[in-house]
Amino acid sequence: MASLAPAGPALPLQFADALIEFLSPSTLADVIVRGIAKASLYVMIAAGLTLVFGLMGVLNFAHGSLTMLGAYLGGLVLVAAVAQSTGGVGRLLAFGVAVVVAFGALAALGGGIEVGLVRPIYDRPPLYQILLTFGVTLVLDELARIVVLFYGLQPTTVWQDVLGTKPTFLADSIGVTGVSASGLELFQILFGVATVVGVHLFLTRTRYGLFVRAGSEDSEMLSALGVDVNRVFTVVFALGTGIAGAAGVLLAWDPAWGASVPLAAETLLPAFVVVIVGGLGTFRGTVVAALIVGLVDSSMTWWFQNFVDFTGLPEMVVFLVLVITLIVKPQGLYGVSEVGGH
Amino acid sequence: MYALLVNSGLSTEAVALLPRIETLVVVLFFGLFAMSFDFISGYTGYLSFGHAAFYGTGAYVVALAANGKLPLLGPETPFMLLLVFAGVAAAVLALAIGSVSFRLSGVYFAMITLGFSQVLYVFVRNWDFVSSAPRDGVAVTGTLEGFRIGVPGVDGWNVAIGQLTGDSIEGLFGFINLSPTEVSFYAVGAVVLVCYLAMQRLVHSPFGRTLIAIRENEERARAIGYNTYAYKLGAFVASGFFAGIAGALFVGFRRSVTPENGFYFLVAGDALLVSIIGGFGTLAGPLYGELFNAGVREFLSKEGGGGGLLPYLRANVGDATLTTELYNGLTVAEAIETFLNGHAALYVGLLFVLFVLYVPNGLLGTVRDRMGGTLATAVPRRVRRWLGE
Repeated sequence: MASLAPAGPALPLQFADALIEFLSPSTLADVIVRGIAKASLYVMIAAGLTLVFGLMGVLNFAHGSLTMLGAYLGGLVLVAAVAQSTGGVGRLLAFGVAVVVAFGALAALGGGIEVGLVRPIYDRPPLYQILLTFGVTLVLDELARIVVLFYGLQPTTVWQDVLGTKPTFLADSIGVTGVSASGLELFQILFGVATVVGVHLFLTRTRYGLFVRAGSEDSEMLSALGVDVNRVFTVVFALGTGIAGAAGVLLAWDPAWGASVPLAAETLLPAFVVVIVGGLGTFRGTVVAALIVGLVDSSMTWWFQNFVDFTGLPEMVVFLVLVITLIVKPQGLYGVSEVGGH
Repeated sequence: MYALLVNSGLSTEAVALLPRIETLVVVLFFGLFAMSFDFISGYTGYLSFGHAAFYGTGAYVVALAANGKLPLLGPETPFMLLLVFAGVAAAVLALAIGSVSFRLSGVYFAMITLGFSQVLYVFVRNWDFVSSAPRDGVAVTGTLEGFRIGVPGVDGWNVAIGQLTGDSIEGLFGFINLSPTEVSFYAVGAVVLVCYLAMQRLVHSPFGRTLIAIRENEERARAIGYNTYAYKLGAFVASGFFAGIAGALFVGFRRSVTPENGFYFLVAGDALLVSIIGGFGTLAGPLYGELFNAGVREFLSKEGGGGGLLPYLRANVGDATLTTELYNGLTVAEAIETFLNGHAALYVGLLFVLFVLYVPNGLLGTVRDRMGGTLATAVPRRVRRWLGE
């Protein structure tokens, strides 16, 4: 590189170099592993959103705030639990406990929101559900800010304590045949795959999953068949927000995200991108879109680090993916023209 | 009015309750932005969640032009001209975004506009052309003079606006004295009024009626023979134009803009919020909504400079009450600090939820429903009936 002429006319040559470097197997493998790890995070954040939209046609603007609450709640459990035990396995167990706690608490909160706030306005235009959940976001964010300030959890943005509760082997990088990935990334991939499989099994193998799939086709027919649709709605909303909470706990361990109040908006937007690109309400689309967005994100991060001098490149390209998808395929990758069964 | 109340017997309460004039200027230009948002979203039913893009464009056009960074528009360009350029730039952007976005509807439309505005937000946030620290936004440094509102080229018919750089007026007609901020208030208010009247004209024209027809039943509007796409796009462009002017006024008064208060999607969220509180689908509603929103925010603001609940409570509640323990070591003073200190967003948010649930027509919409028509027609009718005619 040093022998090349400085910037200007040499730029195309450098671009070619960068392209060759990017396409080399080791770089590509690296980028792909990172991308899948990111995709796992995205699918965790977006899964709940797509479940809720698929069945009820409610675009839940509060989803990011619920993720943020999950991150704090899980973080609290993690910090408290690590004071008790220190070993790597113990910390993984503590993580499991934190996920269960965050899932349970947020599922309860989500169920409450559905029963108390969303249910009364099902018969209004869908616009009002967006408005309502947007209002819920404002309230939840501000409440979180008050609590955080009052207990002095953090003066700045990232709650560093939680990052310290990771088992040490997750921070190390593990090399397999020339490809190196950090333990945390592998852990995230594992967690994401488990969630995808879990939700898929729920939708295809359980009685409730059957109701959900039927309800997103035609909820009136479902209720005519004697199913308590309101209860299905509540359960799915609770499940969706619960997954958001679990995603929050996963994010709390990732130094790139961490637990903070702005996490609400930071997760909401990628979740929207993933859900819309995949096609609102289709779980398969969401998984595929998360993979696409994750891979685009990780490759753009590589380009930014090696060639393009523009800090916002990955983030901007992610939103461009959204815009281009909507232009080319207005319903998203797997979307159907009519969504929301009621 | 303000002076009268502040000097009256209720002066402490008045200072605490009433928003300051600085806040009222914000109400004006942000109210205009919210109106432009309501013009497209309230009248056609298409939720433009990326409306901040046009506001930010207008703001950045003025800031960059004043710093001499735009070709053809030097720092010497009259502000009135910049206002128009800002509006036109935003309208062109709206044409580009709208021509693509209106192929979609409902949630997808909201999302694609959000997507466009976030692309611009991330771009402006990292584009080192706008300033050396693009994340912190742009401050107007190219000119020390205030931006002048009035007739371009005629010095006597111009007033400079801005918190520190504005003109003050003494002895107009012999008895009117205005501080720089008050001058800004009236000058900005004049621009906002012109924009309001223009939008009002549009809404009450056949064009505006068609927009409402589209909101109520788009398929039927198309079946009657209207090219709904063209109407929606036209409304979007007009809305972008006024949003650009609102952004330009914002920089004209504040003299700086950041990506967070110009392009971020929550800026459009705020416009949505005040539109709902004021009355969705009523042009003047957003202005009242913003007045309400800004009033509450200032009332609960941190420092409460010149007014607000906090200084009032600090000054007027006895020490014995303040140190009383409420719960588990939490004293009243601490409770006040915790729940009232700068957390207006909580109460505005709660109120917003209540409005969506129970008052979907907003303040102005509900008043209109009660009065049975717009205020301009209903009030004279009532008065006439009341007078026994």
